[in-house]
Amino acid sequence: MRLMGIIACLTGLVIGGFFAAVTSTSASAAENIKLGLIEPFSGPVAAVGIDALQAFETAAEQVNAAGGVLGGRHIEIVGLDNAMSAEKTTQQLKKAVDMGLKYIIQGIGSNHALNIIKFVNKHNKRNPGNEIMFLNHSAVTTAFTNELCSFWHFRFDANVDMKVAGLVTQMSRDSSIKKVYMINQNYAYGKSFQAAARTLLKERTPGIELVGDELIVPFGKVQDFTPYIAKIKASGADTILTGNWGPDLVRLVKFAAGANLPAQFYTIYGGLTSSVAGYGADSQKVTLKQVNEYHENHDGLSADSMAFGDSYLAKYQDTWYSDRQRWLILMLAEAIDKAGSDDPIAVGKALEGLTFQGPLGEVQMRASDHQIQMQLMVSSLTGEYSRPIMYKGNDFHVAFATDGTISREDTTLPTTCDMQRPY
Amino acid sequence: MEVFVFSLFNGVLYGMLLFLLASGLTLIFSMMGVLNFAHASFFMLGAYFAYQIADHVGFWPGLIFAPILVGVVGAAVERYALRPVHRFGHVAELLFTFGLAFVIEEIVQMVWGKVPVPYDVPASLNVTAFAWQGLDYSAYRIFMLLISVAIFVALFFGLTRTRIGLIIRAALSHPHMVASLGHDVPKVFMWTFGVGCALAGVAGVIGGNVLGTEPGMAIQLGPIVFVVIVVGGLGSLGGALIASLLIGILNNLAISYDFSFYPIFAFFGVERDVEGILADLVNLTTAGIAPLVPYLLLVLMLIFRPRGLLGTRDV
Repeated sequence: MRLMGIIACLTGLVIGGFFAAVTSTSASAAENIKLGLIEPFSGPVAAVGIDALQAFETAAEQVNAAGGVLGGRHIEIVGLDNAMSAEKTTQQLKKAVDMGLKYIIQGIGSNHALNIIKFVNKHNKRNPGNEIMFLNHSAVTTAFTNELCSFWHFRFDANVDMKVAGLVTQMSRDSSIKKVYMINQNYAYGKSFQAAARTLLKERTPGIELVGDELIVPFGKVQDFTPYIAKIKASGADTILTGNWGPDLVRLVKFAAGANLPAQFYTIYGGLTSSVAGYGADSQKVTLKQVNEYHENHDGLSADSMAFGDSYLAKYQDTWYSDRQRWLILMLAEAIDKAGSDDPIAVGKALEGLTFQGPLGEVQMRASDHQIQMQLMVSSLTGEYSRPIMYKGNDFHVAFATDGTISREDTTLPTTCDMQRPY
Repeated sequence: MEVFVFSLFNGVLYGMLLFLLASGLTLIFSMMGVLNFAHASFFMLGAYFAYQIADHVGFWPGLIFAPILVGVVGAAVERYALRPVHRFGHVAELLFTFGLAFVIEEIVQMVWGKVPVPYDVPASLNVTAFAWQGLDYSAYRIFMLLISVAIFVALFFGLTRTRIGLIIRAALSHPHMVASLGHDVPKVFMWTFGVGCALAGVAGVIGGNVLGTEPGMAIQLGPIVFVVIVVGGLGSLGGALIASLLIGILNNLAISYDFSFYPIFAFFGVERDVEGILADLVNLTTAGIAPLVPYLLLVLMLIFRPRGLLGTRDV
């Protein structure tokens, strides 16, 4: 009797287990493809991380609404908070591995991106069959697609050198520019901006004189920019070329405006919402330019990117600032469909050389170094616009107007990458 | 020579803002013995309050009411939070104010969001007062200087020449005697803390629109304020003034003159384009390390004169 009971129990367990197994396989057929987004969602730079999350979720919704990938599987963004700390990035990577995520997206902070590249390289070497892919949306250190290039890393944003090439190309079109003063943050990113600009200025603008080349202690350590403004003034510069971002840019602009410095700014990150919010009324006293791939007042954007920007604005009351988050998701979806599976090796192979219709024309993921090749544009902050910059429903009463677009030929730069492929 | 005088002037402009910020901290320390880690947070609150008031009724009411509000918040913090902690000693107080800084930062982010707010210099003062070396100085920069000087004078005379100052100073060294004479010592402490915070609030009101009003402003400015009061001598108002001006002027001189450290390396036969760990060092200039000069000053001061310039007791 007792034996019968035990047998019944065991049978029950086996049958139960069998059913459990069946249901889990049937669930995985329609399981979402999860993309882990590691960004700061808490702490002082959380706003940028949350904006990125919104952007990727909106792009994923577009893919899902159109039927998803692989015949009906949905893309899901899983936010993983790194609070802008390197240790937490590593923790969240381990968590992502435990959750079985195959794709990691990140972009805010090249130091974190470098962490991820190293982690992913090591992980994939040790765990064949369980590879992870890193999709980089904004970390711009050029080395990631040069000497540090990896099959597992794909960059969907122009790197520093390409952005500087965009700025310098636009500067070469303006014959009124005679003297340039460079001011950058003294860390990896600022130095790579400086190095790229030194080379490109020589190549593309032989008539322009570099009258100052300064590195400052980064991340808000400089409170008073008056002595720098005095030096810029004394140098006779008519243009300031800077990679600064955050308070290091906002204060530079505010002090220049306060002193009525007659110079214009060529920047990479001058158009970030947090910067534009910080200038306040001072943005009207200086000429401020940014380089990127999108702004909503540009004539001749592709219809898709326009429509996406409009739906984003309607949903969050935020102006769509850059287009790369959209094309990252859409290109990934296309690559997954093309590969016929969500296996990172197959998808990586499909991504190599993949083209996509960006806001300013065709962009392409270069196979040799996994650096996207794209057009850029330089635009100025202006008080005269058809559509103002909005953020959380607040009207900033300024917007960007295009000065010029930079073709792919002008942003394409050689790579030193020697790609090691797993196939 | 003109560059020197010019740097001196710019240094004084910046130094006086630092002094305004540090004066409240040193006041609180000298009167209560509390090292307030959240002081820069009150500076931030001042800027945000002023932005909010200016957004509705203009800058001038903000100049009056924002510091008062910050003072009231400070007094409430002393009365309902710091006072109960006080009996557990200075370490507990220190830890409390340390935590408070984070709490204030989170609250600011919740109320005003995580991106900077557009707090602007009032239009009436945003006009050029004079130009020097090709730079325009707005009337607002002069106004900042005047406010700081006025507050220093008021504080100095308030503490040394008035009856209230007498009681405040007596409450520090002889609290029981002062209490026996019928004065409410805890209340004196509460208002001292409140006034100290209000001074940080004033600095926030007049500095927030120049430096930028954002949730990170407290963390960025916090350490430098401590440098000022340690270098000046803990609890010394005059010391804080001298230290603030010293830091402001050194900072400006380091950037304006921009000496290279290369000659030192050249002396030891190091090449300009050396590779490896020395590569960054040979290209170092004083401008590149200007924001670190105050911390260097702090370390030297602690080694050679721990009581600071005008301090009366060692740190």
